[in-house]
Amino acid sequence: MAGSVIVITSGKGGVGKTTTSANIGTALAHMGNKVVLIDTDIGLRNLDLLLGLENRIVYTIVDVVEERCKLKQALVKDKKNPNLCLLAAAQTRDKSAVDAEQLKDICEQLKQDFDYVLVDCPAGIEQGFQNAVAGANEAIVVTTPEMSAIRDADRIIGLLESKEGVEKYRLLVNRVRPKLIKSNDMMGVDDVVEILSCDLIGVIPEDTNIITSTNKGEPVVNDEKSLAGRAYMNVARRIMGEDVPLLDIDEPTTLIDKIKKFFATKKAQG
Amino acid sequence: MYDNEFFVVDMASCSSTGEIINSLSLALETLNHSGKKIVLKLNDSQLNQSQLLSIQSLITSYGCILDTIETLNEQTAQVAQNMNILVQKPIEKRVEDKYHDDVNQEFKTFSMNMPSDNSIAVKDVNGLHFEADLDEIQRRQDSININSDLVKAGINPQGTFSQVQQQAEAKYSSVDEIQNINDTFMNSSLALDETENLAKNSIGVYKKAYDENIPEDDTWEEVDFYETPTNDPVVSDSKNTTYINQTLRSGQILESDGNVVIIGDCHPGSEIRALGDITVWGVLSGIAHAGCKGNLNARVRALKLNAVQLRIGNCYSRRPDGTNIPYIIRSSIFTPEEARVVDGEIMLFKINQN
Repeated sequence: MAGSVIVITSGKGGVGKTTTSANIGTALAHMGNKVVLIDTDIGLRNLDLLLGLENRIVYTIVDVVEERCKLKQALVKDKKNPNLCLLAAAQTRDKSAVDAEQLKDICEQLKQDFDYVLVDCPAGIEQGFQNAVAGANEAIVVTTPEMSAIRDADRIIGLLESKEGVEKYRLLVNRVRPKLIKSNDMMGVDDVVEILSCDLIGVIPEDTNIITSTNKGEPVVNDEKSLAGRAYMNVARRIMGEDVPLLDIDEPTTLIDKIKKFFATKKAQG
Repeated sequence: MYDNEFFVVDMASCSSTGEIINSLSLALETLNHSGKKIVLKLNDSQLNQSQLLSIQSLITSYGCILDTIETLNEQTAQVAQNMNILVQKPIEKRVEDKYHDDVNQEFKTFSMNMPSDNSIAVKDVNGLHFEADLDEIQRRQDSININSDLVKAGINPQGTFSQVQQQAEAKYSSVDEIQNINDTFMNSSLALDETENLAKNSIGVYKKAYDENIPEDDTWEEVDFYETPTNDPVVSDSKNTTYINQTLRSGQILESDGNVVIIGDCHPGSEIRALGDITVWGVLSGIAHAGCKGNLNARVRALKLNAVQLRIGNCYSRRPDGTNIPYIIRSSIFTPEEARVVDGEIMLFKINQN
């Protein structure tokens, strides 16, 4: 059975495409799926850094395309999880080194051996985006609750709709701050979903653990205490088809809040 | 320490008399040696009296004296003795020490191979070039393209995988067994028939010869990969050295067919490839490939070796996990190190440590 190719895209830069790719990939592999991550951000690669695989890369996607090595030679296995592989981008080239047909080809080949092929898309709507989307049959549009990111996401959704082959696209709202939403300083998740009129696949809270995990080269899903990690785990479950309720990201801060919340959940369960 | 009177010319890599004369005249032209006594290393080449006479007259024309000939060939030794030239046998050396011996020898050594073109090229995706002739860059890039043709891909991995799967399905009835076969296939990364023609190579951690501490979070496993072996190693022209007085940034490649000296840092994401040695007067954090056409005697030196990967010849090694130095504190911890190949493994030595 062929696996599915999921592209993770956003239009705007800096909203967390690469972080999302690394975490969802790790989470899916953690649950026993064979996962390959493809970094299509040629020239500005980062995915290897987030996974801590930077020092293991010998061949890149450009080497595969230019037939200097075979596809399987270029797959870098993860340090911890043998189910997870990375096909790294070349740092010394640019987006034009690969074209859409070649990437489609690579996706088709990897689909045979892996359950999930996650494609990390570069920012923008140019060649890099066109390449990344070429082989995908599903898309996750990452956005933050900011007007500029939502505008760009809207543009991306429009492009995805006109693209043949992408059957399904879902929205992931990243870097949500419940406190700011409460005080009406940030757009709520519901508002974002309403503006974009698109299915929601998950909500990820802003989490300082993300910064440390990026620097350490270890995805945050490996940290069970991290709220963002748990949220990404839930997203991975939803990708696998499970019906998981949205994570309660409204983290209580004071002790009284915590006690109140504890009783509230008791009551709800009872 | 070397004697000012003597000058050693190493002709061991030259095969014909023409080559010897050509290289010798170049060596004598390059530096001023008048009045010096020449020690000629000839290895195995067989020379008759007239050839030796012409070499002698060449040396005399530059104002030098042919004093000693170092040769393995008995006939050459006989002819030389007849001409009142001292003859000695080459000293046996361990291969890995060859490089250092050259420096520490009694005589100053001038190692000489056939000259190659001195072109360098720094490729940059932004179209920025270092100060080098445009023609030379073009020539260099052409040669890179030719080199890349050496490494060729073969069988379609996907096709082979389904073949393996089909065979497995036919052979084993239970699903578990098929899964096992699939796993073995996936774990080995390549099906057996695909690895024909390819050499199995692995990236281990590079270790420090003087410090055995490896960070705990490094899993220590070696990463296997397959490469097309280089058939004949190309040794660099030790005369040809490129100086770059600039920081090498992410995405930039520096290629040279000699040695490379960089005055500045090499940031992560940059790559240096040289036929000879690589010396970085700064922090080396990118990828460095010394002796990139199979010369295992090449070395990598830096004020701080923090390279993502070190490659020497066909030896690959990676930085231990968890030892990356953040940008901010790096300058305070310079410990000049040299990487060389010992028993097929890349080891780091303190400079001047044996």
